[in-house]
Formats: sequence, structure tokens, C-alpha cells
Amino acid sequence: MLFIQSLISGILTGGVYALAGIGMSLVFGVMNISNFAHGDLMMLGMYLAYYAFTLLHIDPYLSLVMIIPVSFLFGFLLEKVFISRVIDHPHQNQILLTIGLGLIMSNTALLAFTSDPKILTTSYSSSAINTAGGLSISIPLLLSFLITILITTILYLFLLKSSTGMALRATSQNREAAQLMGINVAKMSAIAFGIGTALAATAGALIAPTYYIHPLAGHSFLLKSFTICVLGGLGSVVGAGVGGLIIGVVESMASTYISTDWKDVIVFVLFLAVLLLRPQGLFGKNGGQ
Amino acid sequence: MIEPLLKISHVNKHFGGNIAVSDVSFAVEEQQIFGLIGPNGAGKTTLFNCITGFYPVTSGDVIFDNRKINNLRPDAVCRLGMARTWQRVKPLSSLSVLENVMIGAFSITRSLTEAREKAQEQLTQVGLSDYATQLAGSLSIGLKKKLELARVLATKPKMLLLDEICGGLNHTETDTLLQIIRDVRKQGTTIVFIEHDMKAVTSICDHIVVLNSGVKLAEGTPAEITRNQEVIAAYLGGGYHA
Amino acid sequence: MKQLIIVALLAALAAAIPSLLGENPYIIGLLISVLMMAALSSAWNIIGGFAGQYSFGHAAYFGAGAYTTMILISSWNVNPLAGMVAGIAIAAVIALITGSIVFGLRGHYFALASIAVAEIIRLSVLNFEFTGGAQGILLANVTLWGLDLNSKDPFYYGMLLLLVVTLAVTIWLRKSKTGYYLQAIREDQDAASSLGINLARYKNRSLLLSAALTSVAGSLYSVYIRFIDTSAVLDLRLSIEIILTAIIGGVGTLWGPVLGAILLVPLAEMLRSNVIGDSLVKLGIVSETSALGVFLSENLAHAHVLVYGIITVLCILYMPKGILGLFRRIK
Repeated sequence: MLFIQSLISGILTGGVYALAGIGMSLVFGVMNISNFAHGDLMMLGMYLAYYAFTLLHIDPYLSLVMIIPVSFLFGFLLEKVFISRVIDHPHQNQILLTIGLGLIMSNTALLAFTSDPKILTTSYSSSAINTAGGLSISIPLLLSFLITILITTILYLFLLKSSTGMALRATSQNREAAQLMGINVAKMSAIAFGIGTALAATAGALIAPTYYIHPLAGHSFLLKSFTICVLGGLGSVVGAGVGGLIIGVVESMASTYISTDWKDVIVFVLFLAVLLLRPQGLFGKNGGQ
Repeated sequence: MIEPLLKISHVNKHFGGNIAVSDVSFAVEEQQIFGLIGPNGAGKTTLFNCITGFYPVTSGDVIFDNRKINNLRPDAVCRLGMARTWQRVKPLSSLSVLENVMIGAFSITRSLTEAREKAQEQLTQVGLSDYATQLAGSLSIGLKKKLELARVLATKPKMLLLDEICGGLNHTETDTLLQIIRDVRKQGTTIVFIEHDMKAVTSICDHIVVLNSGVKLAEGTPAEITRNQEVIAAYLGGGYHA
Repeated sequence: MKQLIIVALLAALAAAIPSLLGENPYIIGLLISVLMMAALSSAWNIIGGFAGQYSFGHAAYFGAGAYTTMILISSWNVNPLAGMVAGIAIAAVIALITGSIVFGLRGHYFALASIAVAEIIRLSVLNFEFTGGAQGILLANVTLWGLDLNSKDPFYYGMLLLLVVTLAVTIWLRKSKTGYYLQAIREDQDAASSLGINLARYKNRSLLLSAALTSVAGSLYSVYIRFIDTSAVLDLRLSIEIILTAIIGGVGTLWGPVLGAILLVPLAEMLRSNVIGDSLVKLGIVSETSALGVFLSENLAHAHVLVYGIITVLCILYMPKGILGLFRRIK
């Protein structure tokens, strides 16, 4: 029973992780950049949801309608103004740039919102469905999961069917070839980064009702998102989705059977294990040597 | 009967569903100048990468100096005496020309002074002495190719694999390079050439293998190859005119 | 050789400073911080600037030195120097483990793995009893051969010596086969491999060297401050600060990290102690009671990380080779 409970919580949380992971994977695939500001983008989503709720009284899940386009635009502009300038630079410089941007975001948030953790409590924050078998399914988690499925499906269809989506996939597979075929790869980069940011912010907003919201909250999600991407295979959107669910479950099981103190350590050890044993991940296109 | 220095035996290389090299076999004798030619995408560079340890072969054997070298790392292959150049030159850009060649020389010595001496000798042989202190990244493409040659020669290889070393060069540059290569062979090194420039290939090679779409199409002397109908057809009629 | 002489001269000058300064613990303390950051960045430069492998988790080695030394002294009364050697051993093990996992792989993996290793260590230290958990470790008393360890001077000289050793190692590397091989790896790994360079072996060597020097700094720091916890010695921010210091000065150069430390450490200190805010008020530029004045006095002290972020972005965009890189080619 405990096992199934743990499994279910893990899958539900894993869905949100998957969203963050997919965002990062998309950026990695199209731009070949590790975005170290990803966690801070999630944090911004958390605060957007928080203030939409406390100032405008909009339910966090409904505020997604506003958060998604706003964060997409933010990411798009971020890419155009900053990231695009280092697209051909050595990757360590790209990483440092995104770290710098992340530091600016988190510390501006610290100055603006102070380090007091905020809590977003909706009327149903602690509600749960209690099944006959004794399982308790948290309503916020369930709603997040369902929304994640909806967004992932839309994204999947977009990538598969729309012309922009196909252009994105082409750029991801081979940037040079895509350029030769007439695809505006610079625009693709900006779009990919915009989508990645929107997904990160969405994940943040979805998680906001169940986490402490504070300016440094994004950092623990950063390495987790990388773990998900590497596990799924850098650049593979499907892989990141699967990876997210796996990490969610691993974390949940670790919390239940070992302790919550060690759950992050276990995830990071898993990360190193993947690098050691199967660096190309589950669905990877790029690999180690 | 002397064993060939390099023996490629039924080598296959697949990338997932893509068959890049299919059942290729040939042998290179000591001190030969051996040509590996074929249209673009024929699998020549892939074969080079398999031979020198950058790709693992899917199946087949690579035997160098009587030793199976299939799964060795590239640096181990180099230390056994097989060195290669790159189709797209790889100068160590932030280092000087002399330092580039010194790094090659370090594979046979630990001493700084000895490496510097050997490097200077190598630069003189290819005619780059005047550029010794210049940054490698600042050279023209022709000089970069010469630098790459000097660098691998500094490793004192038994066999040299040259991947399109004449690519992007004009006639004078090509002729100079070919003369250097003839001298290198006289000094005892075996040479394997990937090349597109048919004039260069036929003028310098003792023996040629032609690849097309990963398969060995033909093998023989330059005269035999240039008369071979299949080879001419593979080069799409715009190939070599005798 | 010439550079070694310059290092020796500057070191001699630096060694004279405490006596010239007399009783000024604040300045000495600041200089110790500068020397330490210079040493840390120079040590990082060996793997980051030379070999081109950016470790984003170097705090792991600093923390290894600090925690090993502290635990051995406080629990078993071990001589601090022995504690330092033990710290080096632990750091070496961490370096070997990290290297063996990633140095066979290409691309971004080393950066990510180095962070993962550092975080695993930080979280583990937080969770264990014998490492003090979240409380950290406090050292009541420590002695070494009759030296007065309550004064700052021994630590000034200790950090200075470490910096000199690190610079000397860097100078030696540039003129050795190992150093040349590392630079080849940095420039083009495939080319390096094809020239007979065993990539993993040389990357491991440079990481070991870098880790050992970094851990010595950690050991010195722990005995100097007499209190450590994970946020002081194992934090990601420290790792980033080390890299930033090297980048601003000029990554891959001999003096770049030192220059970076000389610029950034006092800047951070001025922000932290609100010197800048106070001077703006004194100069009359900002009125003390205005909204901006109040905001500055309350917040500028916390803003030094924000300033770091801005400097990082500006540096990468406009000055990626650092200040020294503007003046001469990377060597």
C-alpha cells in the first residue's frame, strides 16, 4: 500500500518535473546550450502564480493562461538580447552567461520579494481524494498532472504537425542542414528558448501551491532538470518526459523508504550512474565517446 | 613473404541503419604510397576514423604491423606508429606554429629542448620555419595544411594517413606538398592518401583502392584505375579524363 | 624563469606588508581573503584555463580540505598540518572519482557532473552527525608548534605561500610536456588524441593537482576562521565565484586569477559593508532619507551577488578573455 501511494505521488510530481525537463531538453536540442538559469525561470513562474493569486485572486491553474504567453515572451527576448550572442562561443562561456542571468534573476527577486518564503494556499491545497483502498491522492498534484498531460500533448502535436514545430525538430537534428534548407535557425533558437522558458515557468506555477516559494527555490530544480535530460537523452523531448516520471518516482520512493533528507542525494547519484553506464540516456541522439 | 604493414579485413561500419562501410578489405605494403579514392560520401573518412580508433568497427579487423588494433584508443594507435591528418584541419589555434609541432614531437620525447629541436627540423622540412612564432589560428588554409603535416611527421610515424591534404590548395601548393610527401616516403614512412584531386593521386600513388557507397569498387595501379569503366561511371562521367 | 623571479619579488613585497601595516586586523583580514581567492582561482585555472575543462563544483575540494581538517582536529586533536595532508588525500579521491566518470565523455558532461559531485558532498555533510550537520563545526582551540594561531599573521603568510606555490606550479606547467598536452586538449581534443595524448590521463592529472591545491586553501581557511558549515565551504556560490574571478582577470593566463581576486574581493567587501552606499550619501549624490537612500542602505549590502551576476554577463558578452585577454593573447 505504501508502495503504491509512493508510486502515485511520484508519478504525479514526476509529471511536473517532466515539464521542466522537456523545456530544458528542447533548448538543448535546438540550441545545444545548457541553460543554467532554468531553475530561476521556474522560480519566476512560482512568483507569477503567487502574485496572480494574492493580488488578482486568480487561481494558479487558471493564471497559466497569462503565465504561459508572458514567460514565452520573456524567454524569447532573453534569447534575442543575450543568448544569441554566444551561440557560437565555447560552451563553457554559454554556461557562464546563463549562470550570470540566473544570478541576476534570483538576486533581483531577493531584493524585490525578500527571502521570506511565501506560501500559496488555495481552498483545495490540502484536499485529497481518498480511495477505498486507503490511498490518498492530493488534489493539487492531480490537477498539476492533468494540466501537464494537456500541455505536453499540445506541445507534441505542435512539434509533430505544425510547420514551426517541424522546423524546430529539423534544427534540433542538424542545425547546418536546417539552415541550408532555408530555415531561420536564429528565430528557431529564440522560439525554442521561449518555449523552454514557458515550460519552466509553467512547472513553477504548477508546483507553487505545494512548495515554499522563495527566490532560491529554483536551484534544486536545476540539477534535477539536468538529471532528467541526461537520463532521457539530451535533446530528446520524449526522453525528458519519461525521465521526469522516473525521477519523480525515484524521489518519492527514496523519501518513503530511506528519508527525505537523502532524496536529492539519491537523484544526483542516479545522475552520475547514468553518465557512467549509459551517457546517451534512454533515447539519446548525442552520446559520450 | 613480408606481411603488409596495414591489413583491412572485411571491415564493416554501421551507424544504426546507415551502412557507411561494407565488407572492405585491402592491404598496404611498407613504404607504399597508397591511394583511397571515391566520390563524396563513399565512406573514405569513416574508414579512416575506424582505422585510427575514432570509431569502433562494427565488424572486421584492422591489423597494423602484425597487431590487431580494432579497439584501441586513437592515442594508442598513434603511439604504435600510425598518425593521421584531418579533412577539416585542426590547428591548435591559440598556440604558435612551433608549439603545435612540438606537441607532435612530445609523443617520442619528454624533454622540452629535444621537442623544440625536432619541431624546428620538421618545420624546415615542410618550409614553415619563418612562421614558427605565429599563432596557428592566423595561418592561411594552405599553411595550416602544411602545419598539420609537420605536426604528424614530428610523431615519427611508420604510417601516415592523409585525409584530403590537398583539399583547398592551388596547383603550386599541391605540387610542393606532394614533393614533401615523396621525400617522407623515401625516409621510410608508408603513406595512405584520401584524395579527390585525381591528378595528384595518379601522379603519386603506387596502388589505389576505389570506394563507392561504402563498398570497394576497384583496386589496382593508377593506370588500371583510370581505365576502369565502373570507376569512371561512379565519378559521374565528369571524372578523370586521361 | 623570468616569471618565477617576478613572483618571488612580489611575494617578498607582500610578505613585508603585515609588518608595515602594524595592528590592522581589518586590512590583513581583507588581504587574506584576496590571497585566498587568488590561490583558489589560480588552482582552478590549472584544470579550467589550461586544460579547458571547466569544473563548476570546485567547492567540493575546498570543503574536503576544510571539513577533513576540522574533524581531525576537533575530534582527535590531530596536528593541523597532518589534517591538511589528510584533506588533500580526500580531495584526491573525489577528483579521481569525478574524473573516472566523466573524462571519457565529450561536451557538457564534466560541468554537470562536477556540480552533481559537489552537491552530493554538500547534502551528505548536511545529513551526517559527525560532520556537524547544519550546525557546522566550531573549533575551540588549535595549536601548531607554538605559533600564535589567534593572530591573523600566520594565515596571511600561509595563504601567500599557497598562492606562490600555485603560481610556481602554473609556471612549471607552461614549460612542461604535461602543460603542453593540457593546452592541446583544451584547443582540440580529437587532434590531441590523434597526436598520442591520453585524454583521460592528462585531464585526471590536472584535476588532481588543482583539487589538492584547492583543498589546502580549505584547510587553511578552517583553522583561520575556526568555524565552518556547508554554506561557507561547500556552496555552489563559492564554486561560481572562483570561476568568475579567473574569467574576469583572464582565464588561462598566469596573472589573470590574481588580478580578478584583487578586483572582486574588495568590491564584494565594499558592497557587503555598505561602503558604497555610505559614500553615495556622504558625497551628497543620494539623500539619506530618500526612498532610494533607504533602499540602498538596506539592500546594497545584500546585492553583491547581484553585482556578480551583472559582471558575469557583461564579462562574457564583451570581455570573454578577461582583462588580461584584452592586452595579450591567451597562453
